[in-house]
Amino acid sequence: MTRPRLLLLLPTATYRTTAFIEAARRLDIPLTVASERPSTFESARLDTLVTLDFSSVPRTVDQALAFHRDSPVTAALGVDDDTVILATAINLALGRPTNPLPAVEAARDKFLQREALRTAGVPVPDFALHDLGLDPATHAGTAPYPCVLKPLRLAGSRGVIRADDPAQFVAAFRRIRSLLQGREIRDCGPAGRQLLVEAFVSGPEVALEGLLEKGRLHVLALFDKPDPLDGPFFEETLYVTPSRLPEDAQRALAGVAEDAAHAIGLVEGPVHAELRWNDRGAWLLELAARPIGGRCSAALRFGTDITLEEVVLRHALGLPLPSLTREPRASGVMMIPVPGQGGMLRGVKGTERARATPGVDDVVITATGQKLVPWPEGSRYPGFIFAHGARPEDVEFALRAAHRQLEWELEPLD
Amino acid sequence: MDQNLGITAQPVDVHKCKFVVSEPVFAGVRRFTSAAEAQGSPLAERIFAIPGGFVTEVMVSGENVTVTKASEAPWQAVGKAVGAAIRETLRGAVPAVAAAAPRPAGPEGPGDDALYERVAHLFEQEVNPMVARHGGFVELIDVQEAVVMLRMGGGCQGCGMASVTLRQGIEGVLAQYIPEVKAVVDITDHGSGANPYFASSKK
Repeated sequence: MTRPRLLLLLPTATYRTTAFIEAARRLDIPLTVASERPSTFESARLDTLVTLDFSSVPRTVDQALAFHRDSPVTAALGVDDDTVILATAINLALGRPTNPLPAVEAARDKFLQREALRTAGVPVPDFALHDLGLDPATHAGTAPYPCVLKPLRLAGSRGVIRADDPAQFVAAFRRIRSLLQGREIRDCGPAGRQLLVEAFVSGPEVALEGLLEKGRLHVLALFDKPDPLDGPFFEETLYVTPSRLPEDAQRALAGVAEDAAHAIGLVEGPVHAELRWNDRGAWLLELAARPIGGRCSAALRFGTDITLEEVVLRHALGLPLPSLTREPRASGVMMIPVPGQGGMLRGVKGTERARATPGVDDVVITATGQKLVPWPEGSRYPGFIFAHGARPEDVEFALRAAHRQLEWELEPLD
Repeated sequence: MDQNLGITAQPVDVHKCKFVVSEPVFAGVRRFTSAAEAQGSPLAERIFAIPGGFVTEVMVSGENVTVTKASEAPWQAVGKAVGAAIRETLRGAVPAVAAAAPRPAGPEGPGDDALYERVAHLFEQEVNPMVARHGGFVELIDVQEAVVMLRMGGGCQGCGMASVTLRQGIEGVLAQYIPEVKAVVDITDHGSGANPYFASSKK
């Protein structure tokens, strides 16, 4: 019997390539990798590689089906917000069990998502959509202060800015407008001409990693974010699991995440949710129909040392799932913040000392030779630190201690 | 010498860890997948003999010693024993690793020398012209027991799609033209790649 082949949609800029490729190797799953730019091996005409036009859903589906006619694939899998939509459309064309297309579109678009959640009664901050072409002063008077201004499509808190008064609102508005006019992200389309303004929700923030199976949410991990995310910018740093929040709070957060998935219409596949907890309960900030980003998935192991990517690949092909219980030890990751004003990263000293920190599993520098831009404009971390420990506080301590060992060699940008 | 010997552990995951030594351990590349195979190479013998280590593979390349183990014990425990094995071996007069005797041709297929020639030819004619389009190159380091060891450079080193090039591209071409190749091992230090063709940036 032919083994099921997976069409894996990997954008060339993703951090997740190696984790998915190696997970497929461990599971002995035949892969075809699709990217938006040609591989160096395109001309070899291998059935393991294909270029698809990621900028258009219909074109991607047509190209994928044409490929499928010659080299059959069983299912498609996307790894980020954009490719998840493409993979869903391909799966629908292949007749695979998957999410409805409007559900994954709502998961990508912050405004569509909030509208669906508010309609369904899921606790979300008050929000409004604003046209970036208008004078920000006209909007500033109606905003609920403190508020948060967000682009509709960008990931990783890029372009997200808090404003406490009208003057800050106008400054933030102009800054986001300038960011969205940049060459790098002009392809946001109509979503790049609007922004979302929502009330700031106080309280600790958590990230929930989950897997939907026929509408049921399996909570894979709940990460605390020990660094307060109170603005003005919201660069992610520490993720530590298990959560130190009380059990009832954790249950409430998981319940809101599941309600949010149902409200949007998601029924299958990985989800990543950002939530807050305060004296009014759990609040849903974002829900994405994809696994955790960056290299953070390396902080997660399930059952007998199974990676998150293995779980996601198995689910995509309808293979039996392993135990979804996370390992007993506490675990965490630091998305290393961009140092100072950023610059061209020429090198990092102290990585050996950082790796030798008790509890630290690894220090990975991913941006040597690359331009680092601080948030809110930036989107590239210098690297990642991983740690394990008996307790979450041990993990947090190890991550911070390792980070202090790093010395950055940055060349100022022009 | 031993006083100044530096060894840095760089865990890849709970099963694999690279130990970077401050001086060359072996001029070439050798890979061992069992204690029996390690006979004659004192460093690999010692690492396979670590009590409770459950070591399944040792690869030595220049200053790097990469150890794979089956156990889920943290590297902090096993790593000390590996470090001690490296120090003890380098302190001795016998070379840490013996040069590999090329596997001769046999009923299971061509020998390593013959495979090396064919792989080198394939790299020159097919693989390198392809990766050169992205400013990259692939260097054939060795063929041992029908396992190809290679290093990537230029635009491939540290490239966000390097594992796609390796697993979906190079392995695919090798499977197509030289099916006798059993596996491909990449010994590239991708963390040092300063000019990758595709740099990761999206969250």
